[in-house]
Amino acid sequence: MLSSLTKYRHAFLVGLQSNLVYRWNFAVRGLFSLFHLSAVFILWSAAYQGVGSGGINGFGFGPTITYFVTLLVLQFFISAFNEDYQISEDIRNGLINQFLLKPINYFGYRLSIFVAARMVSGALVLLPLAVALPFLHTYLTFPGDWGWRLALGLPAMALSALIQFSIAYCFGLLTFWFLEIQGFVILSMAVEAVLGGQMFPLDLLPAGVFAVAKFLPFYYQMYFPAAIFTGRISQADTISGLGIELCWVGILFAVNRGLWIRGLRRHTAVGG
Amino acid sequence: MNYFRIWLASARYSVVRTLMFRGDFFVWSLVELFWMATSLLTISVIYEHTSSIAGWSKYEMTLLVGTSLLIQRFLMGFFWSSIFDMGRNVRSGNFDFFLAQPGNVMFMATTRKIDPDGFLNSFVALAVVLYSAHRLGLHPGAADCALYACMVLGGLIIHYSILVISVSMVFWITNAQGVEGGYFSLTEFSRLPKAAFGVVTSAIFVWGLPAVVVSNVPASLLLHGFNPWWALWLFGAAAGWFGIAVLVFHRGLRRYTSASS
Repeated sequence: MLSSLTKYRHAFLVGLQSNLVYRWNFAVRGLFSLFHLSAVFILWSAAYQGVGSGGINGFGFGPTITYFVTLLVLQFFISAFNEDYQISEDIRNGLINQFLLKPINYFGYRLSIFVAARMVSGALVLLPLAVALPFLHTYLTFPGDWGWRLALGLPAMALSALIQFSIAYCFGLLTFWFLEIQGFVILSMAVEAVLGGQMFPLDLLPAGVFAVAKFLPFYYQMYFPAAIFTGRISQADTISGLGIELCWVGILFAVNRGLWIRGLRRHTAVGG
Repeated sequence: MNYFRIWLASARYSVVRTLMFRGDFFVWSLVELFWMATSLLTISVIYEHTSSIAGWSKYEMTLLVGTSLLIQRFLMGFFWSSIFDMGRNVRSGNFDFFLAQPGNVMFMATTRKIDPDGFLNSFVALAVVLYSAHRLGLHPGAADCALYACMVLGGLIIHYSILVISVSMVFWITNAQGVEGGYFSLTEFSRLPKAAFGVVTSAIFVWGLPAVVVSNVPASLLLHGFNPWWALWLFGAAAGWFGIAVLVFHRGLRRYTSASS
């Protein structure tokens, strides 16, 4: 058992090294995220000028900005960046053949590299955030009941990372059927941006739509952990949400397994 | 005239290629449509909870976002693929192909491909502008419409220049991956009304970088009439940024050393 884990530890270490090579790309991306954060800040501060003391949906400007800052940090710690593209390239170029011959699980291998990549990108986003903090700290307001939020939010965050990775993995495996998957990926990104709460906090949606969104995997990609940490969700809703999130992880794992088995049936390995 | 014929031949080739990959065309058209929808949906959701954003009503804001999307769709249709490929070609050495062509390298490299899906969605963006104008009860005259078209063209030149400058960085840093993300971050500001910016942010995004002027000037023309100073600022910015783009591109080109670049 331990020896089988060792190979994934090595994959993780290799992933750590190769992602450190691209540290500047992550740093530049982090820097550009500050532009996004500035746009969000300007838009929402202008929107809040038109509302009364009750705020928007019961939340003031501070909690809304806190939500978007939390979202930004989460993005670099748990989002899938280009994992779908890497998997697609492995399949297209035939690099996947080597994994079929070795005693290593491709999903496990990719997941190890994903964890390494997010550790690097997560650490690097803290730098531009440290630059922005002097301007932002007066607006950041976190809830007082942080004990249970941290205890439940961290597992929710880990499960969100698994959902993000599993969806990217699914799209990568579509290469067994389609030559070009970028279109599907970017299409899905648009849906994820809205239903994942990246454009606006999902609780601003009409109640009926919000209730349906809770049962979709996108809700758990970003909004759910961000809402726990920033006080937009109650303890009871968090616990039930964790249950649904766990179900989605199971469903996505099963879909991945199914796609992998059916995809390999179509796969043709050529050459040495 | 000669360059127009070259562009026409490239455009014909792009259309034929698109018709060969119809499924791809359909998916990419949907991609652009979905991303446009996300911008409009965000505005719609925010206005469910507030009556104005920096003094702009819902349909004024939709007109602004529609104008920004229209310019961006034209950029996607005319230039995006060519400029995006430029970064990869410089890295791989395939950029030699453009150097060997009998024409201006910047023109050849940035206009080779067109994306019909971008054009298709420009009709959707235009429909958003027209619908907003209708809801606002605007009735612009022919001169205003012509001026609006010129301003959209000015905005397109600014977007083109910013993208060329960004991707030209590949001549220095070899890997410009992620730079296009910077372009998209910058265009986010073009969907915000100028009045929403404070002193510091105005200095950066209104006066320093041309992110806000691109869409605010044409939208304000339809909403509030012609403002000669703003028009001058937009066309001046277009000329200035285009000049900078030409300069940066040709400075970068001097550093290009084929496949080893």
